[in-house]
Amino acid sequence: MTTPGFTRPGLRGNEIGQLRHEMRTPVNAVLGYSEMLLEDAPEHRAHLEEAVEAAGAVLAAIEGALPPTAAEIDSRDIESLHAAIRPHQERILRAVDAIAAQAAPGQSGLAADLARIRLAAGRLVTTGVAAAPAGVGSPAADAAAGDASADAPTVIAEVPRAPVASAPPAAALDRGFRLLVVDDVADNRTVLARRLQREGHLVECAENGRDALETVAAKPFDLILLDIMMPGIDGFEVLRRLKHAPETADIPVIMISALDDLESVVRCIEQGAEDHLTKPFEPVLLRARINASLEKKRLRDREKEYIAEVKTIAEAATAVEEGRYTPASLARAAMRPDELGRLARVFDGMAAEVKAREDRLRRQVMELRQEIEAVRQGVVTTGPEDTRLPIGHALAGRYEIELVVGFGAMGTVYKAFDRELAEPVAVKVLRPDLLSDSTVVDRFKAEVRLARRISHPTVVRTHDFGEFDGLHYLTMEYVEGLTARALLDSRGRLGVAAVLALAAQLAQALAAAHAQGVIHRDIKPQNLLLDERGILKVMDFGVSRLADSAGGVREAGLLIGTPAYMAPEQLLGDDVDERTDLYATGVVLFECLTGRLPFEAESPVALVARVLQESPPCASALYEDVPTAFSALIARLLAKRREARPSSAVELQRLLDQIA
Amino acid sequence: MPRVLLVEDNEMNRDMLSRRLQKRGFDVTIAVDGREGIDKALAEPYDLILMDISLPEIDGWTAARRLRTSPQTERTPIIALTAHAMAGDRQKALEAGCDDYDTKPIELDRLLGKMNALLNRRP
Repeated sequence: MTTPGFTRPGLRGNEIGQLRHEMRTPVNAVLGYSEMLLEDAPEHRAHLEEAVEAAGAVLAAIEGALPPTAAEIDSRDIESLHAAIRPHQERILRAVDAIAAQAAPGQSGLAADLARIRLAAGRLVTTGVAAAPAGVGSPAADAAAGDASADAPTVIAEVPRAPVASAPPAAALDRGFRLLVVDDVADNRTVLARRLQREGHLVECAENGRDALETVAAKPFDLILLDIMMPGIDGFEVLRRLKHAPETADIPVIMISALDDLESVVRCIEQGAEDHLTKPFEPVLLRARINASLEKKRLRDREKEYIAEVKTIAEAATAVEEGRYTPASLARAAMRPDELGRLARVFDGMAAEVKAREDRLRRQVMELRQEIEAVRQGVVTTGPEDTRLPIGHALAGRYEIELVVGFGAMGTVYKAFDRELAEPVAVKVLRPDLLSDSTVVDRFKAEVRLARRISHPTVVRTHDFGEFDGLHYLTMEYVEGLTARALLDSRGRLGVAAVLALAAQLAQALAAAHAQGVIHRDIKPQNLLLDERGILKVMDFGVSRLADSAGGVREAGLLIGTPAYMAPEQLLGDDVDERTDLYATGVVLFECLTGRLPFEAESPVALVARVLQESPPCASALYEDVPTAFSALIARLLAKRREARPSSAVELQRLLDQIA
Repeated sequence: MPRVLLVEDNEMNRDMLSRRLQKRGFDVTIAVDGREGIDKALAEPYDLILMDISLPEIDGWTAARRLRTSPQTERTPIIALTAHAMAGDRQKALEAGCDDYDTKPIELDRLLGKMNALLNRRP
């Protein structure tokens, strides 16, 4: 289907400004040289005034068709403007010829200036073929490509036209683009290629569809001008293949054809062509379309680059999470002058800090592992056998007792095999007298429910609370390892780096528990389990509440742990809070660093009195290798008044970071 | 003899205008694009600069703005010249730091009037 009324699009905004610039510039030269010759060669006044008047008429026509305020013009208006200019252009050329005919031999200066006027006059119709004087140019090429200005004679050497900085989209062209002209007609290719070369582009040609596809596959192009009607593979098929291949899909393609029916245009656009021009085309339109396409490609390329940089930053974030971030990976993005570059720089700085911190912690944990390994060589970790549950007994028909791993005031801890889940578990069988009344059992269950909500790598997970055959028991995650108690008993004191590693993990565990509203109440080396990798697991969250709830434990002499780790408020029976756990943490850290408790006494009563009344010694005074800042932090943790301690485990983490 | 720097990329217009100004007593130096214009203006003192706006490399607006930020050229009179001549160009030229603005085709008497007004304004 053809649409006779189909109109090629005109120009808008800056394109109009660019056209005004192109058309007024040669008028300026014609007028300027003519006026200059009026002064220098007054004997030719009549012809020169004719040229000046004609140039004035050209200017008036331009101003009429392309007013400074024009927002949009139709291509037919441009054609009308050219038609209006041509008679005046001929007047100028006739005047120049007349002067040249009258000029005396030897007036080389005059001849050169006349040549300049002639050249400028030839450019009045936007350097198009229609503007060229009769008999000039290549008619065959003109008819085929609609442009033969490249064939216009030049009297003075013409400076190659560089992209004009203030006339978008040419303004964006900071380099010559690589263009491919595909046309089966040699004249068409030649004329178009020459015009594009004059615009500063690098141009290659292909004479058929196959040649075009091979050329594009061999080297990159910024834009392709593609004829539709070609023998063999036609332009539609070339376009289809280009857009189908990921490596060429983004190259803008402008289709050039004698076909101007709407159907062809629609087909081109639907297949992914950037634009469509009908032969013979207006050179100004061609330039505008090419520049617009190149500008769009440039913006797309920038967008792709931006997206790629965003992806780099996202990948860097993943790398940080997975511990494989390398600072250099954002170097390119960090050089960008925009907000993304700023983000990359800030991110890189933060990631480098995190990495340094992780490296430091890794070194500290390594030292802790070495301490553990040294003890594992010679320590038997099993506890005394409890006669109530023999090895091999299946508690509740499910937990097969394998061995005793601990024994204390609350009961006995076994390693057992969970027949249901086919994995090892720890089973703590509680002393029957602690759970003699149902109110206490309910309260304990509530506490266990709360403790089960704590999910953190440094906290031993609590699974279930059960009762079977008169025995109450808790099942927990089974961790193969050593308690800090065993480590201290064996090593005496631990290295500063190892203690910092333990402190950081303990602070994390407490922060996780406190966030769930659970206070441990009984932080002590016996409850700090270290696996062979140096990872801390804090045990018995919620369990010590049982002792408080049951009451009378202290009276019975079965103290929960020992008063040495209890904060003053705990010893006095006041309410406890998270800072109570921080006090115990201070005692543990002091003991780890020095191999002794901050307060020591021969009896529990004397010990309590010292805890309540005396100041603890300074760890760094006892051992020179203990950093003063670490010693001061422990002193804060051991403050009698909880208000003087760090406000939370999170705050403790921050303070430990500063020491590390 | 007033020293004028003419920054113009079009060879014919450059040739024509420089010759016409020289005939009227100006010492004219040529620059063919914005970058060369800036370099020459900073290298030697000029009494006045005629700055085409549509230039390759660095356009006239940008060149004028840069010259205004340099101590050597911050007070040198600049007249913007353009064949573009769209609405708003004059305002843009003044905002870029130009002292005056003229359109091409050049009416030499009008341009000379503007040049002399600026040259006479010098301290």
